[in-house]
Amino acid sequence: MSALRLISNRTSQQASSNSDYTWEYEYYEYGPVSFEGLKAHKYSIVIGFWVGLAVFVIFMFFVLTLLTKTGAPHQDNAEPSEKRLRMNSFVADFGRPLESERVFSQQIAEESQSLFHFCINEVEHLDKAKQSQKGPGLESNTHFQEVPRSSGKFEEDLNSLTKLNLPNFVNTEQNSSLGEDDLLISEPPIILESKSVMQSSSRILD
Amino acid sequence: ENISDFSVNMTDCTQVVVPEEVFFTIAAVGILENLLVLIAVVRNKNLHLPMYFFICSLAISDMLGSLYKTLENIFIILCKMGYLTRRGDFEKKLDDAMDSMFILSLLGSIFSLLAIAADRYITIFYALRYHNIMTLRRAVVILAIIWMFCAGSSIAIALFSYEAATVIPFTILFPLMMFFILCLYVHMFLLARSHAKKIASLPTSTVHQRTNMKGAITLTIFLGVFLCCWAPFVLHILLARFCPHNPYCACYMSIFHVNGTLIMCNAIIDPMIFAFRSPELRSTFKKMFCCAR
Repeated sequence: MSALRLISNRTSQQASSNSDYTWEYEYYEYGPVSFEGLKAHKYSIVIGFWVGLAVFVIFMFFVLTLLTKTGAPHQDNAEPSEKRLRMNSFVADFGRPLESERVFSQQIAEESQSLFHFCINEVEHLDKAKQSQKGPGLESNTHFQEVPRSSGKFEEDLNSLTKLNLPNFVNTEQNSSLGEDDLLISEPPIILESKSVMQSSSRILD
Repeated sequence: ENISDFSVNMTDCTQVVVPEEVFFTIAAVGILENLLVLIAVVRNKNLHLPMYFFICSLAISDMLGSLYKTLENIFIILCKMGYLTRRGDFEKKLDDAMDSMFILSLLGSIFSLLAIAADRYITIFYALRYHNIMTLRRAVVILAIIWMFCAGSSIAIALFSYEAATVIPFTILFPLMMFFILCLYVHMFLLARSHAKKIASLPTSTVHQRTNMKGAITLTIFLGVFLCCWAPFVLHILLARFCPHNPYCACYMSIFHVNGTLIMCNAIIDPMIFAFRSPELRSTFKKMFCCAR
């Protein structure tokens, strides 16, 4: 009886710490809990919890899938197999931040090309989007890279941009005109920032 | 009647036992993996970036979680073998210390995930100013604040775990943070979609529009893993506090060891979805192992 009293005293305490809890599990069952006359299955909370969690995760998945749907009309490309999923880079490299080792890869050139296309085109004219091939893109790219040599911080910023620290939204292919991923940067800030970038660059040059 | 009830209860909803070997294996793998991530980031200068610091913080909290479970099991074994008394003062203090380590691990995980999401958010929405906003020093300061707050709260929660006032905020914090992280990522997704639409509307664009499943899959995995691994335990704490004598609650609480194992599985899965996705980190690992051979 004294042992029983000890148990009931223990369990009547407010939530004891987890370890004591577990130690008691090893030796005693859960005190005076009556399992008589249960209406539902005894593991109903367990089952209900896990089913609810699974439903929630699946629901979240469908919501996210709907969100990523672009909704624009389907257009065929010449070589769809070569085209990476736009979000592939987003997804595959989601954990990939500032990648300094990718500076000299072809991808970087294209990515920075597309990024700078965005900056340049938004600031200048949308027509340039038509001709945003490698040639002019790279020229503007190198132009931008010449500018920051005079200021360390600015250079660091632009260099990191060319390295594309963006979680790879900005991956594109060879002959893409502006792909979906190019512009996954907040639009208004980019316009303003690119303007300030150009202003500061002109200030530096003068 | 008490005794007869007691004997009947012995057979219902018995504690689900996870074999100790499984337990220790999972814990050891989790600790090793996260330790590797930490070592790789420390050794490679290229990885001294805010993003990787946040990933390291996540690795540390995962390690703490696995360590806690390992130590707890060791103590239980020691108790069974009789080296430790079950209700001694020293054991109680040790027990409180371990509880606070565990809560520290949970809070650290949540805040690290939040920091990672916020870092990515800034990368996307303030791309050109990212390096000015998220300097290395600021990242270190943010991490220091996070960990001091987590340490303080965990000690407070462990000391006052008997009060409902600590259990409720703790269990509310968990879904709240998940919801906030989800909002950040959803906003990023929405921006991606709006940009894609803008590109599609350009006259010369020849883009291939379709649903980007992989983005949704990745994000679902992030949050789904965290939820599935931690939510069972959080529910356990709630039930233990509010309905320990209810038979349904008692049956849920009998799978306590499984919940603990899930938390350690989280420690194994997290580096895979965060750290190992980075090629730089992977190449650092290869170098480490190739040199060791």
